[in-house]
Amino acid sequence: MITVRDLTRRFGPHTAIEGLSFHLEPGEVVGFLGPNGAGKSTTMRILSGYLPATSGSAEVAGFDVLRSSLEVRKRIGYLPESVPLYAEHRVEEMLDFQGRLHGLSRSERRTRIPRVLERAGIADRSRAIIGGLSRGQRQRVGIAVALLPDPQVLILDEPTSGLDPLQRLEMRKLLVELGREHTVLLSSHILPEIEAVCPRVIILSKGRIAADGTKDDLVRSLGGGARLRLEAVVGPDVAAAVRLLKALPGVGDVRERGRLGIHHVFEIPCAQDLREDVGALANAKRWAIRELSWQRPSLEQLFARIALDLPGEPESAEPAPSAAPAASASVQLEVSAQLATKPPPQVRPLSPFESAPAPAPTSTPTSTPAKIVYNLNPFDMGASRDLSKPKPIDGPGAPPKEGT
Amino acid sequence: MSGAWTIYRRELSGLFLSPLAWVLLCNALAFNGFFFVLSVQGLGGDVLQSMSFLLGGSYTFWMLVVLLPPLLTMRMFSEEARTGVLEFLLTAPVTDFAVVLGKLLAATTLMAVLWSSAFVYGLALAALGAPPDWAPLVSGVCGATLVSALFCAVGLAVSAMSNTPLLAAFFATIANAAILSLPFLDALLALPPGSPLRVALGHANVITQFQASFVVGALDTKHVLFFLVWTGFFSFVATRVLEARRWW
Repeated sequence: MITVRDLTRRFGPHTAIEGLSFHLEPGEVVGFLGPNGAGKSTTMRILSGYLPATSGSAEVAGFDVLRSSLEVRKRIGYLPESVPLYAEHRVEEMLDFQGRLHGLSRSERRTRIPRVLERAGIADRSRAIIGGLSRGQRQRVGIAVALLPDPQVLILDEPTSGLDPLQRLEMRKLLVELGREHTVLLSSHILPEIEAVCPRVIILSKGRIAADGTKDDLVRSLGGGARLRLEAVVGPDVAAAVRLLKALPGVGDVRERGRLGIHHVFEIPCAQDLREDVGALANAKRWAIRELSWQRPSLEQLFARIALDLPGEPESAEPAPSAAPAASASVQLEVSAQLATKPPPQVRPLSPFESAPAPAPTSTPTSTPAKIVYNLNPFDMGASRDLSKPKPIDGPGAPPKEGT
Repeated sequence: MSGAWTIYRRELSGLFLSPLAWVLLCNALAFNGFFFVLSVQGLGGDVLQSMSFLLGGSYTFWMLVVLLPPLLTMRMFSEEARTGVLEFLLTAPVTDFAVVLGKLLAATTLMAVLWSSAFVYGLALAALGAPPDWAPLVSGVCGATLVSALFCAVGLAVSAMSNTPLLAAFFATIANAAILSLPFLDALLALPPGSPLRVALGHANVITQFQASFVVGALDTKHVLFFLVWTGFFSFVATRVLEARRWW
């Protein structure tokens, strides 16, 4: 429905987009993502026929946007970022004007205008003067105007900017609905929106396509770096716990991240969700778990990484599961035997001091008064220490004060 | 062309929904009326002469013609470029020329409304027992509308070049005045009689072209064509400027 080949647009010495190529099938809903100035609006303007490209070509519904501009314009509903509406007119007059521009007959206009107003959720303000509408209402009128000619392609430039959270939610619902009938290309720099609405995402950065694919594709191909986090009381022999964890199928590497109070923290890079297995192991070994979570990098993190031009995280290099040491095979067997023969009780009263380790401080608290910092991050070291006392700066390995 | 008609309707309602058009109309009518009364008194009750003064026979007419169209057209592109509505119009399925034509016709219509106020004077005179010569009145109104169309086209072309309405009005006024004073170049350059430039400048004299036909009540196609062609030329310029905007 939309085919873009090698599109480049320069404004004087400034290159807005360079060498853009992508293709949209009919019925696809694609989100343009990128920081401000990445070239989203420029691309959309070229597709809508407002701006010509410096080089390259773009086709919408089989028509070249430069050569058959009018044919293209008949087939797209374009909502620019500024939501251009005549402030002195009433909402229905604006829609009537749009209907006439698109050559709709009087009867068509009469039936379609109330319908699109209903659709955009602004039917109750059809007699209102546009200049007096709020930003969110104007946005809806803009959507209604774009929808009126029932275009094959909808190009919406930041349709949710300026809306309050509730309106944003409604807009998202509307966009999902529109995606069922139209080919939709929408842009945003708000990620949750794109994630919620668009199955496919094109990330632009500095005028180039940085990534193009479904969200899962992107996360997989760019991010990797999914990891499992385990915080549990594993007893004094941490090395043994690491060995056990390493023995699980699919686990290549286990990183010990020190202690939080009586809990040890482990991070396990793994492509799949291994919470079941780790949980079962912990249950079998009677480790008291405080946290067991599987974290994948969100689109947001990926986006930030691309936008800021950061290299991929070092953790993203996934070690092959086969890298598990062969020596641990027996341990693995032992674990699975335990799992099979002795199904542990589902709920077990957590007594944190049951297997409280003998105090083995990783760093001895110095007698000199430590430099005091107040850490406001609730997820960092918070719960394991006496909150009434400041935390020494010695780092995560510092043993709880009350223990010493 | 249906696109131009649609845009014409929108622009006209936009003009009449804005206070600017009413303020301009009101002031121009008050000015015209005042001047008409003055000239009737000053000419000792020569109504016919006063009517011709009102429509092209005097410098006050030319002042209005130079000043008013730029004020009407100044916002038509520059303001829309700023609010972004131009992006809507230029991505609508209408040609750029239809956009220019619609706006030109709307501004010209408003000017025609202004000039047709002369009929009110005519009717008032007829009611008072001194009926005017209706033919020069009708041709005068038609001619004044044609001249206004020319200057509106100039105003549109300038408005398309600028993003600031006031600047557009200023430069359009200067351009209009320059067009009106083209014939003075002839004296300024001290051209020999019969030189091609002098002949050309003579043909480009808007005021004499106007007074030779419309003021005396004769509709000469030559003069009608003169105004139509120049209006068309400046509309073309406006369209081209609009197109060039896309490349900026």
